[in-house]
Amino acid sequence: MDVEDVFSSRLRMKILKLLDKMHELNASEIAHRLNVNYVVTAKHLNVLEKEGIINHKMFGRIRLYWLNENSPKTKAVQHLIKTWEQAN
Amino acid sequence: MSYYRSVFRDETKLDINYIPYTLPHRETELRLLTEFFSFALQSPEKMTQRVIITGDVGTGKTALSQRFGASITQEANKRGINLHYVHVNCREYRGSLFMILQRAASVFHPNFPKRGYAAEELLSMLMQMLDEEKAHIIFTLDEFESLIENEGSEAVYKLTRLHETRQNKPQRLSLICILRNLKTIERLDLSTRSSLQSNIINLQKYSKQQLIDILAARVTMAFKPSAVPEDTVDMIAEEAMSENGNARFGIELLWRAGKYADAEELDAVTAECVRKAVSSIIPAMRKSDLETLNLHERLFLLGVARIFKQNKNAYVTLAEAEQTYAVICEEFNTSPVSHTQLWKNLRNLSAVGILKADVTAAGTRGRSTNVSLPRIPASELEKELKSLLEKQET
Repeated sequence: MDVEDVFSSRLRMKILKLLDKMHELNASEIAHRLNVNYVVTAKHLNVLEKEGIINHKMFGRIRLYWLNENSPKTKAVQHLIKTWEQAN
Repeated sequence: MSYYRSVFRDETKLDINYIPYTLPHRETELRLLTEFFSFALQSPEKMTQRVIITGDVGTGKTALSQRFGASITQEANKRGINLHYVHVNCREYRGSLFMILQRAASVFHPNFPKRGYAAEELLSMLMQMLDEEKAHIIFTLDEFESLIENEGSEAVYKLTRLHETRQNKPQRLSLICILRNLKTIERLDLSTRSSLQSNIINLQKYSKQQLIDILAARVTMAFKPSAVPEDTVDMIAEEAMSENGNARFGIELLWRAGKYADAEELDAVTAECVRKAVSSIIPAMRKSDLETLNLHERLFLLGVARIFKQNKNAYVTLAEAEQTYAVICEEFNTSPVSHTQLWKNLRNLSAVGILKADVTAAGTRGRSTNVSLPRIPASELEKELKSLLEKQET
């Protein structure tokens, strides 16, 4: 996916900001906090995971997501969020 | 220019959550607990342990366990062993196994979801977390009674027999169960009980001298030099003894008495500060107690109150109290009662709990009696008695 495709979604950016702040959250908690439905959230989480920006782990039925700090893409996202927040 | 003066050097050393580096009179128990868990440092994944700590309120159960937890995790860190000590008060979590396990899971995943699955699932998730982190956890269940009351045998059984379902896998979860009385364990079924009761550490009630040592150690840490006289420590220890040897109560009293000293801008924590502190913690003597006293008991008590109002000591001898009583009798235009009757009155005042009389063998001329006013501020007592005696005169 090209960069404009990944970041063209407002919800994906919100998910990234939320995970950057909370470090890790399960899918339904992300959906709840962003006030969107679970299916839509899961779809966007899937996109971000395919790009290697986030990871997930299963604990029983619980799916926990977090930013993949080993990915240069994630580092770029974190840098962007930080710079943006400092500038504001 | 005014400046804030305080008897304290570091009052946080008297906080209920502060765990001192050394625990006076619990050294043996701490060594025993460390022995029970020595495997955690030598071969951490090979075995687990279950220990029960029992003892009355204020006997140092929580402090002992937390001191042990801090020391063992420090040592494990040095050796590169991933060991976690997690202390949970079951009552705070309403005795719910689910909420207690949530607390343990939050150590590894702070935002782990709080609903949507059962306690049993959470237990296996916790084991997965421990496996992934290659960690060992010493899980302390304080106020264990609450878990037993709320969940019964089933929950305890799940915790204690956990490793039987994980044979040939690394052992990861050890338990310390803290409770007041072993009798609570009798409510559990036989197999659960047998899985728990292998290692028991029973903490005996502190003696007065032990309480003095504990308080003196805290005084050194928390107060400026010479801010707490020995008499004051002795008096607080006596109070803690009357609260069933409760060291926590004594430490709280020490802090409160220090606060009264600061409020009155004193250089030292006096016996009167302790009395005020006691009356603020324990419901003070009821006025009806004073109303039941006869005239000479009231007069004697007024004398004692006046002595302690002027005098910063914790004790006064019966001879001194008797002299003051004689002066008070003059003031109220009445003859003093005989020494024998006075002694009877003192015994009555002591039985009611207003005064305390201790016969001491100190000195070379036989025994003497020390009178103390442990619970009521002298100034408050004097005010109450004066108003009662004035009413009696009219």
